[in-house]
Amino acid sequence: MATKTPPPTRTPPLSLDGAEVDPASFRDPAGFVFRRDGVLYRQIQPPAAADWATFLSSGLHERLVADRLIVEHADVSPAEAALPDAVAVIRPRVLELISYPYEWSFTQLQEAALLTLDLQSRALDAGMRLRDASAYNVQFESGYPIFIDSLSFEVAPDTEPWPAYRQFCEHFLAPLALMALRDVRCGLLLRDFIDGIPLDLAAGLLPWKSRFNLGLSAHIHLHARAQRRAAGETRPTAKGGRTGRISATGQRALLDSLRRTVSGLRVEPAGHWADYASTTSYSDAATASKGEIVRSMLVLARGRTVWDLGANTGVYSALATQTGYRVVAFDQDASSVEAHWRHVRGVRNPAILPLVMDLVNPSPSMGWALRERRSFLDRGEPDVLMALALVHHLAIGNNVPLDQVAELLARIAPRAIVEFVPKEDPMAQRLLAARPDIFERYTIDGFRDAFGPLFRLVRESPIADSPRTLFLFDRRESAVRS
Amino acid sequence: MPLLAYIDPGSGSMLVQVVIAGILAVPFFFRRTIGDGWRRIRGNGHKDPTADEDASAKP
Repeated sequence: MATKTPPPTRTPPLSLDGAEVDPASFRDPAGFVFRRDGVLYRQIQPPAAADWATFLSSGLHERLVADRLIVEHADVSPAEAALPDAVAVIRPRVLELISYPYEWSFTQLQEAALLTLDLQSRALDAGMRLRDASAYNVQFESGYPIFIDSLSFEVAPDTEPWPAYRQFCEHFLAPLALMALRDVRCGLLLRDFIDGIPLDLAAGLLPWKSRFNLGLSAHIHLHARAQRRAAGETRPTAKGGRTGRISATGQRALLDSLRRTVSGLRVEPAGHWADYASTTSYSDAATASKGEIVRSMLVLARGRTVWDLGANTGVYSALATQTGYRVVAFDQDASSVEAHWRHVRGVRNPAILPLVMDLVNPSPSMGWALRERRSFLDRGEPDVLMALALVHHLAIGNNVPLDQVAELLARIAPRAIVEFVPKEDPMAQRLLAARPDIFERYTIDGFRDAFGPLFRLVRESPIADSPRTLFLFDRRESAVRS
Repeated sequence: MPLLAYIDPGSGSMLVQVVIAGILAVPFFFRRTIGDGWRRIRGNGHKDPTADEDASAKP
C-alpha cells in the first residue's frame, strides 16, 4: 500500500512502527485494536479514561467476565502502546475464528441480540450503558455468543435515551424480523447493508401482518416513520441532540419490549438441504464405511481444527469432534445451518460452530477500503478441511472446472479430505437429470489430474457399497501462495 | 450527548424512543409491581420465568 501523509485526526494510522492497527478499528475515538508480533492488543485513549475506570471499578467488567458474557483480557504495560497518551493497554484473549452477522443463522443472530440487550441491562444496573449495539461486537465461541468490545461501556444517566437504539434495531431487530416473517435468506442483506438494514427498507419488505406485532410496529414501522419525518425537517439537529428525557422505568420498559420482540420471532428450518441427510442414497453399509474412512483420515491428518465445507446438518462435523477436532461447519443453506446450530445447542457440543457460507460466492473483503470485514479466505487457516459430497455440486451444479476446485481448496487448508462422487452416483445423476452432460473431464482420473499438481495423495479409499471415493491430500509446498 | 457518541443516534430514533418508552413504561410498571406483589403473595419466590431465559442457558 502506498504511504500517504497521515490524516490530521486522532485516527491511528494503519501501520505504526511494529504495530498494525486493525482495519476495522478506526471509527471509535475511545480506542483501537492493533497487533504487534502477532499479539492482539487494545489501546484505550484519553477520551475514554473515565468510562474505562468506571467499567473496571464498578465491578461490571468482573461480573461480565465471570458470566462469560464478555471476552477477558490481560493488562499489559502502557509501554506496549502503539500511540502516545494511552490510558491503558490490554491484551484481549484471541478467539479462534471471527465470524460476521451475515454468516449467522437466525438463532445465532437472535442470541447475539439477546446478549446485547442483556449487557445493556447490566450496564444500566451499574450506572453505565452500551455506547453502540453493533452486531460485529458479538462473536460465537464454544457454543455461545460472547461480546468482544470491552470499550463499549460508558457512564451515562439512565434518563437519557439510548443512542444505540437505532443501531440495535438496524443490526438486529430488522434482519431478525425479515428472516422470521419474510424469508430466512434475508439475513444475507446484512452483507450489503454493513451497518444494519435501513428501517424504511425493512418496513417496506416486511409483510403487512408485522404491523400487528406490537414490538415490530413500534420499533420498526413507527421508528421508520419517525426517521423519515426527522429527515424531512429543515433544521434537523438544531436542538443539539436534546430529544427529551426518558424515565428509568421507561428505559427498562424499552429494553424489555425489545427483548420480548426479539425472543418472540421464530423460524422453522425447513428446506431442501435440511432434509438432505435423510434423503441421500447411501445404504447403511456405505454410510458406515464412509464414517470409518473419514474418521481414520481425520486421525491420520493429526490436526486440531477442521473446516467442514458443505457440512449440511453436521453428521461429519460431529464425527470430527469425536476425534478431538474443533469444527467450523460451513453450509450455503441458511436452513441447514439453523438446524445444525439447534442440534449443536441441543446436544451441547461446544466444539462445532455452524456458519452460512456459499463457497460459490463466499464472504468477500468489504467495508471501508475493502479492509473492514475480512473475506472467507482471510480468516485464518484450519489444520484440515473436509469437502464431503461437495465437489460434484461445485463441478456439475456450478460448472466449476475441477482444477479450479482444487485451487480453491488449496487456498483454504494444508490438508484436505475430499470425496469424489462419480457421474454414475444417483446424487450426481440427479444434478445431471435436467441438463446436458457437458462435463467430459469429470471422472476420477480427471479428479486425480486436477488435484495432483497442488496436493500430494496420502490415501485413497473407495467407500464400500458405493461408487464414491475418499481422498486424503497434503498440500504441496509449491501450492502455497505468498 | 457525551463526547464519545461516535455512532449517529439519529434524531428521529431518539425522539421516537422517548415516545415509545413513555408508552411502554406504564404497562411495564404495573406488570412489574403486580408481578412482584403476586409473587410476594404466593411467597414462593418464583422469578419471572422469561427474565432469565438466556442466563439459565449459560454454562
